[in-house]
Amino acid sequence: MRLGSSLVAIGMLAGATAASASQALGHTQAARPPEKIYAVTCGYCHGTNVGPIILGRHLPPASILFMTRNGRNAMPAFRPTEISNAELEKLAAWISASAANPKEQGK
Amino acid sequence: MSFNLDRREVLTAGAIGVLGTGVQAARLAPSISKAGFAAVVKAMQAVVGADWVFADPDSLHPYTKSYVPDPHHAHAPVGAVCPETVEQVQALLKIANQYKQPLWPVSTGKNMGYGMTTAATPGQMILDLKRMNRILEVDPDLGTALIEPGVTYQQLSDYLAENNIPLWIDVPTIGPIASPVGNTLDRGVGYTPYGDHLTFQCGMEVVLPNGEILRTGMGSIKGTNAWQAFKYGYGPVHDGLFTQSNFGVVTKMGLWLMPKPPAYKPFMIRHPEMGDVGKIVETMRPLRVASLIPNVNLMMSAAYQLAMFNRRSDVWSGEGSISDEAVKKAAKANGLGMWNTYFALYGTEQSIAAIEPIVRGAIGASGGEVLTEAEMSGNPWFHHHATLMRGGLSLEEIGLVRWKGNGGGLAWFAPVAAAKGSETVGQTALAKEILGKYGFDYTAAYAIGWRELHHIIALLYDKSDPAEELKADQCYREMVVRFGEKGWASYRTGVPSMALVSQQYGQVNRDFNKTLKHAIDPNHIIAPGKSGIV
Repeated sequence: MRLGSSLVAIGMLAGATAASASQALGHTQAARPPEKIYAVTCGYCHGTNVGPIILGRHLPPASILFMTRNGRNAMPAFRPTEISNAELEKLAAWISASAANPKEQGK
Repeated sequence: MSFNLDRREVLTAGAIGVLGTGVQAARLAPSISKAGFAAVVKAMQAVVGADWVFADPDSLHPYTKSYVPDPHHAHAPVGAVCPETVEQVQALLKIANQYKQPLWPVSTGKNMGYGMTTAATPGQMILDLKRMNRILEVDPDLGTALIEPGVTYQQLSDYLAENNIPLWIDVPTIGPIASPVGNTLDRGVGYTPYGDHLTFQCGMEVVLPNGEILRTGMGSIKGTNAWQAFKYGYGPVHDGLFTQSNFGVVTKMGLWLMPKPPAYKPFMIRHPEMGDVGKIVETMRPLRVASLIPNVNLMMSAAYQLAMFNRRSDVWSGEGSISDEAVKKAAKANGLGMWNTYFALYGTEQSIAAIEPIVRGAIGASGGEVLTEAEMSGNPWFHHHATLMRGGLSLEEIGLVRWKGNGGGLAWFAPVAAAKGSETVGQTALAKEILGKYGFDYTAAYAIGWRELHHIIALLYDKSDPAEELKADQCYREMVVRFGEKGWASYRTGVPSMALVSQQYGQVNRDFNKTLKHAIDPNHIIAPGKSGIV
């Protein structure tokens, strides 16, 4: 069960990776779509036995934004240098609107 | 800008709360006045833009998050500034020198359990290098890379995968959001044969406090193609001086990357008793020293393993530290022993087939069960370590900080000894005694890096409970002092205990570092207090 969920996370990561452009040598990282950020940051915990499930709960975008920046309780905080304000706004809307992923394992 | 501290109030009160966001302890450095700080902020805004200087409590809040105990609110920064180029770093250091505003550099700021984006002394601004995240070069033939501090392991991994470059990365346990540069500079470790990160680093670019740019190794030779190929250059080797120190701002670093081996086989050894760890060390050391096993041998206690994926309340409702009996029962139910040792073999099918029987023979004599994917498929702990030992990405270890509830408290205590089994008896007993005195659990591991033994103790506590945070701080300090009395000193520590640990390494060592610091950074603007060097 737990292994399955970990493999799902890896699969999601691979999918997101294939869909995004490579970072060009010598250039800073370009703005990333919400799916990519979810796969390479949020999804490693929310869906793989560490944090609670956040997809499909229609969490208010403002709450997602606050949690990301403040890192309530055990969650680390993510700074604008890690996830830009523009990226976070789209990410919060995307998470809020996303359907649940039954393959994720929350904790 | 909404920075509104009254310095005199701060100095007399010691710490204050501001604007209701929970930000505390924004004390200015003794070297700067309120007006001076305001001038710093303005000057820095002119360098990086107003969006990349944070000096009001609300926007600064993400920088105050930390898992380590800070009961006296001494470590939160007073600001943050985020350059995107080396030239901007130089300009910021000039401003810092002019106003004597100390800057605490971080790469990605995810040194969890050591302080993240908080500083060793009050009044520092975080020099947040995350925006400097260029991958500058990757040489698939040499297996080398040159990167900036803000590059995460995830970014480097994605780059290699998307460009079909068959090189592995070597990750710490929280690879996706951590940085190869930051981890190497703190002398962190990973789990493949390239796990000793400083050993596999090659060449640095450093902005010195006076703004000059130093390139280590071959980096200052015009036209060289060996900066990432030969570590030592000519004359004194400088690279180590810029690790766990405050002598410059590292803005580029070369890494060696391991060629993906044709075959990889992870193993787990299960031992049933707490007392088995000494003989495990004696069994594994010769295999590791001879490099028959080429990666770190990680001996995970059952409680540490359980804490990753469970809550304490799932397995223990008694008073004080969790009992060995309760741990053993839960471990057994999850396919774990009281000690679970992980290592891997790398090479070809033939080379692994040749070494495996030798390793199995030695381990079998120690009473351990040797397990592989064939037996452990589906076990999340085996899967976790099998992922790490091939440089795979995971954040599963963050689960540790929920062991005591949602409060999120973690401080790593990591004393070092020679890799002798006899060392484990006294260390485990002392750790359990001190942790038990404060009601915390022995959630620990041992690791044989090569010839040394790291005892890696996760002090897990509920940071949302101020009384428990205070106890955690006291417990950590007692461990540092009492382990130190026996010659077991830390290889690395968090921001609250840097001065304490540095004292254990002696006055001559401290004075030498102080002499270097004053010569290189006469205004003491880079990370005062890092590793106890003021």
